[in-house]
Amino acid sequence: MTFLQLLSSMRFAISMLSFVAIASIIGTVLKQNEAYESYIIKFGQFWFDFFEILGLYNVYQASWFIIILIFLITSTSVCIYRNAPQIIREIKEFNTKIKEDSLKNMKHSSEIIIKQASLKNQIQILIQNGFKVKLTEQGPDVLLSAKKGQFQKLGYFFTHIAIIIISVGGLMDGNLVFKAQEYLGIKQIEKEDLPLSKISKKSWLEINNFSYRANMLLKEGESQGVAFLPRKDGYLVQDLPFSVALKDFNIKHYSSGQPKSFESDLILKNKESGESIRKTISVNKPLTYNGITLYQSDFQDGGSKLMINLWNLQNQSSKQKMESEVFKSNQIVHGNEKFSFEFNDFRLFNILDIETDGKKISKNVGPNFTYKIRNESGQALEYQNFQLPMSVNGQQYFMSGMRSSQQEEFRYLKIPADANNDLRGFMVFKDLIYSSVNTNIAIDKVIDETQIGAANDPQAFKLSLQKVLEVFLSGGYSAVAQSIEQNIPLEKQTEIANTYIKIIFLIGNNLIQLYQQDYPNEDMYALEKPQQFIQDALNTLSDRFFYGHDLYLELETYEHIQASGLQLTKAPGQFWVYLGSLFLVLGIFCMIYIQEVRLWIFKKNKSNKAILAMSTNREHLDFKIYFNDMLKKLKKG
Amino acid sequence: MMFQKKSDNLFFLFLLAVGSYALYTFHTYMDHYEMGILVGSIFGFSWLGNFWQVFKKYFLAVFLLSLIGIYFYNGNLISAETNFILKYFLASQSSIMWMSALFPLALLTYWFYMFNQQIFYGSLASKFTWLATTIGMTGLMVRWFESYLIGIDIGHIPVSNLYEVFVLFCLITALIYLYYEEKIGTMKLGAFVLIVINAAIAFLLWYTFSKGADQIQPLVPALQSYWMKIHVPANFIGYGAFAMAAMISIAYLIRDKGYMTRSLPSQHVLDDMTYKAIAIGFIFFTIATILGAIWAAEAWGGYWSWDPKETWALIVWLNYAAWLHLRLIKGLRGTLLAWWSVIGLIITTFCFLGVNLFLSGLHSYGEL
Ligand code: HEM
Repeated sequence: MTFLQLLSSMRFAISMLSFVAIASIIGTVLKQNEAYESYIIKFGQFWFDFFEILGLYNVYQASWFIIILIFLITSTSVCIYRNAPQIIREIKEFNTKIKEDSLKNMKHSSEIIIKQASLKNQIQILIQNGFKVKLTEQGPDVLLSAKKGQFQKLGYFFTHIAIIIISVGGLMDGNLVFKAQEYLGIKQIEKEDLPLSKISKKSWLEINNFSYRANMLLKEGESQGVAFLPRKDGYLVQDLPFSVALKDFNIKHYSSGQPKSFESDLILKNKESGESIRKTISVNKPLTYNGITLYQSDFQDGGSKLMINLWNLQNQSSKQKMESEVFKSNQIVHGNEKFSFEFNDFRLFNILDIETDGKKISKNVGPNFTYKIRNESGQALEYQNFQLPMSVNGQQYFMSGMRSSQQEEFRYLKIPADANNDLRGFMVFKDLIYSSVNTNIAIDKVIDETQIGAANDPQAFKLSLQKVLEVFLSGGYSAVAQSIEQNIPLEKQTEIANTYIKIIFLIGNNLIQLYQQDYPNEDMYALEKPQQFIQDALNTLSDRFFYGHDLYLELETYEHIQASGLQLTKAPGQFWVYLGSLFLVLGIFCMIYIQEVRLWIFKKNKSNKAILAMSTNREHLDFKIYFNDMLKKLKKG
Repeated sequence: MMFQKKSDNLFFLFLLAVGSYALYTFHTYMDHYEMGILVGSIFGFSWLGNFWQVFKKYFLAVFLLSLIGIYFYNGNLISAETNFILKYFLASQSSIMWMSALFPLALLTYWFYMFNQQIFYGSLASKFTWLATTIGMTGLMVRWFESYLIGIDIGHIPVSNLYEVFVLFCLITALIYLYYEEKIGTMKLGAFVLIVINAAIAFLLWYTFSKGADQIQPLVPALQSYWMKIHVPANFIGYGAFAMAAMISIAYLIRDKGYMTRSLPSQHVLDDMTYKAIAIGFIFFTIATILGAIWAAEAWGGYWSWDPKETWALIVWLNYAAWLHLRLIKGLRGTLLAWWSVIGLIITTFCFLGVNLFLSGLHSYGEL
């Protein structure tokens, strides 16, 4: 076997195809193009390096993968080159040399009676049935050769040329050129996060770069003339022939709240001619300009401004104001410690599945923001607070989620909203319960109302109530439970616990009643179910010990600034891929649905007996039926 | 269009009338592509009715039932609870439940027929399958309408999530099978083909009851494209045909071992049917993948992103291309190819379902 034969053999092609398939599978199992750190965490340094050498983090751009593709193209080309003459010959040929005996031996052959020597009728019938016909004389005998469905053979050309065109188109849009430039040291991936002016020219790709897929993140109001290509553990800068400005980014919503469209209102300004155009793009509706297509691909916060109230949950104190921005951090001294508050995200819309009446309904629950509180030793807790209260089991709560790592789910602190759906009711309650002046009066009232303990030493009893409250305020219900476990005999624990809980509740209840007497015009506690509110508020004060921090951040107002993620693609290969695809479909259609048929009638000199034979290169079951059908028709003639 | 049979011409005129009426009444709501698709379907369905005579009846039955469903809705989604006919028969959820009951019944009847060989049971099984396919398709049509009742801007063709495409898969596989059942003149293969349909039904029911997947959800932006309307159905003709091929191959392998020789058609017939199913599947799958690439270019900014779904589609495609090479060029037949087509179904199922279950990617529907 010569090298060319090997190269164009079906075995070789199928091996190459199997390689492509296996490589492709690897690429789908191992997540591609992730940040390198996450691979190191997953595999450890040794395997990370090993897989990196194999190029497994970007299989489809790895050199060996591209080499296989090039082999495939070559193999298929050689295959066409070698098969073409033969196939063209077969298409043209009528096969007039065939002998009587071979006709008789064919699988589909039969003797028929024909009267006219000229076979005129048969010729007509065959032409009507789409055959091409040729009559030749073999000595004294006549041979009629007919054929049909020659396009089936063209299918071979169509499919295989299609494979070549598609692969070439794909390679055009791959990063072969860059790979070569990187190999030769002309270009280099930038790994550090630098301002544009500091990025080495080696990491810039010129305006006339042949093909690329680059990203651009634009804040509202911002304009940019370059895009970025993420590569391995770094990036490249792609210079553009125009600048892009984002006038406005818009998310439209369905009535149910889910996003309906992401739209960027863009102004493109040609760097050379100064000409500018304005166009809104959205998902599935890109814009092509100067051979570059701009797609809506992503969005994120663009540094929204946040006006925040800081509430201390563990003493009587008023709120403090703080201003910040998403992606900024504020330093705060709290207690004796320094903390940094890092704001990561703001979302205007949040669609949650909420259960109402046993049915899940998607609903927009309003804005939220995400932040981390980091202490001096670098440890951080992550929080997510919603601006508006949310309905849980028919009650309204301000929700604040907390978690200590990305892998965890948020656990929520629920702060009950007051009758005005406001935070104030809770905060006033908190101030009351931390004020000993108020709690003193409340405790007196509790003793008054309930008459418990009055028989014994009233002073000592009051002290014990104060103690219970103190324990509660310093550690929540769990601290109360702990103190019971330590001080009370086992058989009495449940009873005492119930009493304590009741006492704490009654103190809270009296605090609110007293407050309402003092401020009769306030309506925030005009609640249908005051008990529910008080219990919830006490729960909040108890749960906050698991909240990780004393400060609760209330979002008062915000200015929403968004950023739109665009993708800019230059893909000259696309046209070829589509053209190849068209060929592919045509070719497969020819090959599968056109049947090549050859038919002969051999008529012996002077005899009215003739042999009819038919053959096809792809024998299916229907062919026999077709043969009988043709036989019947031709017999009549 | 002119057909030889009178009924074909009538069918064409009927479609023309309905299509024109729809175009006349609703053209203000349609864009050019949608009008194109509407006009195209007039001719497409006429051709199909001519090519496969029974299809006309099927079309009319689904058409009528869907209209009745739409009529009873009276423009109000609540009717699904209050109207008797809708609640128990024609609301999409009810129809699909009927379908889910009829397919298992058909399967049992086919097996019954397999063993007792009385033609009556064969045609009964066949009727059940037709019924299931009719009511299921009606369910999809009515669901389409329901989506518009939820909100004009929410309305969309029901091929947008895993639940809907599973229903579609059952229907298409059944239709392809029914076509061959009539053409080959044997009702024995239903016992095999219906297995894969019922497996899909089992998944569908689990998916409905444990995940509430039957809810109609509005389309996420990436799915708002007319390409979806042709890419997804084309894909499912492919999947359906491959599934049928695999089930017939199983019949072939059983027959090859010398079992059921009296109840199953000859190996030649089975072999030929497998080929035909794969051939149909291959061409539709090719077209679907190309359409997917064109769509991807619009939605994601690249015609090929090596997204897991795309990549697995390529693997499926390569697999069947190899199968066809071996059969057509090397002239290979029989057991090896039968096994291969069974394994092909496993690969196909992974592409269809496994990718959604185990791999993540850009394809935005069908997470579990
Ligand atoms: C990327 C690689 C290739 C792909 C995807 C491919 C695909 C196809 C397809 C789809 C068919 C049609 C099968 C049918 O009739 O349904 C076909 C036929 C064929 N292929 Fe390939 N092919 C490839 C490479 C090759 C190579 C390298 C050879 C060289 C030996 C080859 C030889 C053939 C031949 C001889 C036919 C049948 C032509 C005929 O007689 O009608 N193929 N191929």
